[in-house]
Amino acid sequence: MTRRLRCLFLAWAWMLQTPSWADEPLVVAPQSSQVNITTDFAGSDLKAIGAMDGPGDLIIKVVGPQQEATLSREVQLGPFWVGGDTVKMEGAPSLLFLYSTAPIASILPPAEREKYALLLEGVPVRIEPQLTAHAADDWRKAFFRLKERQGYYHENDRAIRVFGNRLFIADMRLPGDLQIGTYTVETLLVKSGKVVGHNVGNFRVRLSGIERWVWNAAHEHSWLFGSLFTLAAMVLGFVLNAIPYRRR
Amino acid sequence: MELFLPIAHMDVNIVLISLYGVLVGFLSGLVGVGGGFLITPLLIFTGIPPIVAVSSGAAQMAGTASGASYLHWRHGNIDFKMGLILLTGSWLGAGFGVYLAKVLLRAGQFGNVVVFLYVILLGFIGVSMLIESLQAVIRASAPAAGDAHATAAPRSLLRTWMQRLPWQTEFPVSGVRMSAVGPLVLGAAVGVMTSLMGVGGGFIMVPVMIYVLKMPTKIVVGTSLYQLLFTTAAVSVMQAGVNHSVDPFLALILILGSVLGTKLGARLGARLPAEKLRLILALVVVAVAVKMIATLVVPPSEIYDMTIELR
Repeated sequence: MTRRLRCLFLAWAWMLQTPSWADEPLVVAPQSSQVNITTDFAGSDLKAIGAMDGPGDLIIKVVGPQQEATLSREVQLGPFWVGGDTVKMEGAPSLLFLYSTAPIASILPPAEREKYALLLEGVPVRIEPQLTAHAADDWRKAFFRLKERQGYYHENDRAIRVFGNRLFIADMRLPGDLQIGTYTVETLLVKSGKVVGHNVGNFRVRLSGIERWVWNAAHEHSWLFGSLFTLAAMVLGFVLNAIPYRRR
Repeated sequence: MELFLPIAHMDVNIVLISLYGVLVGFLSGLVGVGGGFLITPLLIFTGIPPIVAVSSGAAQMAGTASGASYLHWRHGNIDFKMGLILLTGSWLGAGFGVYLAKVLLRAGQFGNVVVFLYVILLGFIGVSMLIESLQAVIRASAPAAGDAHATAAPRSLLRTWMQRLPWQTEFPVSGVRMSAVGPLVLGAAVGVMTSLMGVGGGFIMVPVMIYVLKMPTKIVVGTSLYQLLFTTAAVSVMQAGVNHSVDPFLALILILGSVLGTKLGARLGARLPAEKLRLILALVVVAVAVKMIATLVVPPSEIYDMTIELR
């Protein structure tokens, strides 16, 4: 709790310092700019803190880096269910969170919603190979269904807390299996069905420490890495198995 | 206790993965099978991508086989001439398998193929072990008449066919003479299995060497371990080089677990009756096979599946 109060105080003090921001309808404090995936990483909590100039609704959109996914569909072959056709889904973000202070449909008319791409199933997805509109629609629906079920695409109208119609804090929970890359955080202030304030920030997700080292070694010097690691595994197994046996 | 696996790109429970290692090591200490055919399905059930499970399993086997191979080498139980021919075959087979894996990965079909191969393999091993161990249990209680004659005919047919093949070679350590084509083909078949399924292939290698190639059992065990060591090592290097799919953390945990398990298993195995142990193992194998079959025949609640490209 004291940490939260300190955050609030810092955000407030920081806003007072800079007089020109007094005119801004929406101010968002920069988030921690980096999420490090370390050996004990199993997800991360992120906060967005900011202020607005009076009563209004807020929408925060978190968009992950693009990701290439292969979607497969099982088909029945005699008594077996086996992998049938597959397609590649390209261009869709790996993660899409929509946070708001009230259901987005109730605070923004559809046209505005579309303009700011505030629809979970509205992100552009390219399907490879090209299919008929009807066939593509099945794949697209399945893609969004899986993304939502796995927790990478979701909408939440309770995650933003507003204090005295001025200050707000949003709590965002990032899953453990995060795509590496740059994530953007877009904050919108909405008053009577119109977007009146707009702020864009970003943070990076990267592997750190030994995770990063292993990943780089395995991808950039894959043959050398494979040879040395296999040799190390053989030596380890030898030491663990043969030497204690010999002593007996 | 969670650990983030850099290559599988997911967090796993260290205790659970170590237990897999202990279980497989325990079984191998108890009944003398390698157990690669159990590790891969268990890892896949946990959510590890199949290619990472198969490749890290190969690295784990290279690790655990090195100590045992050394002991067999010291005791002179390895027929190096035979071993080198087997290895030539299995390296060719393994190289082919690793590239086949790459093609299947690109088509998004690797997981399906692995599960399918495992159902066939585990079903076959499980059922044959079950029959064999049940027979042994029955035989132990009631002395029955020998039925060895029934299977003699097809075996000798295979042997005469083998004698007609080219490159007849003398293998002085094993005390046999045969065509080099036999071990070459056997090695190649096992090499493909190692790279596609993450198994050492001892369950095929050992019976073929004993019953078809007529090699002495002691030499068979040492030579097949030697072959397994260098085949799994080659597969591990190639999978890392071609498919970037060997997860070092995963392999290390499995090695530590299985070394511990092997010692426990060997200690306990000395006290329990062998045929009952084989029955237990057969039941475990059948259970895993049934679970894998279930994933194939039970209508899925979601027919779509998503694989994220591991960059």
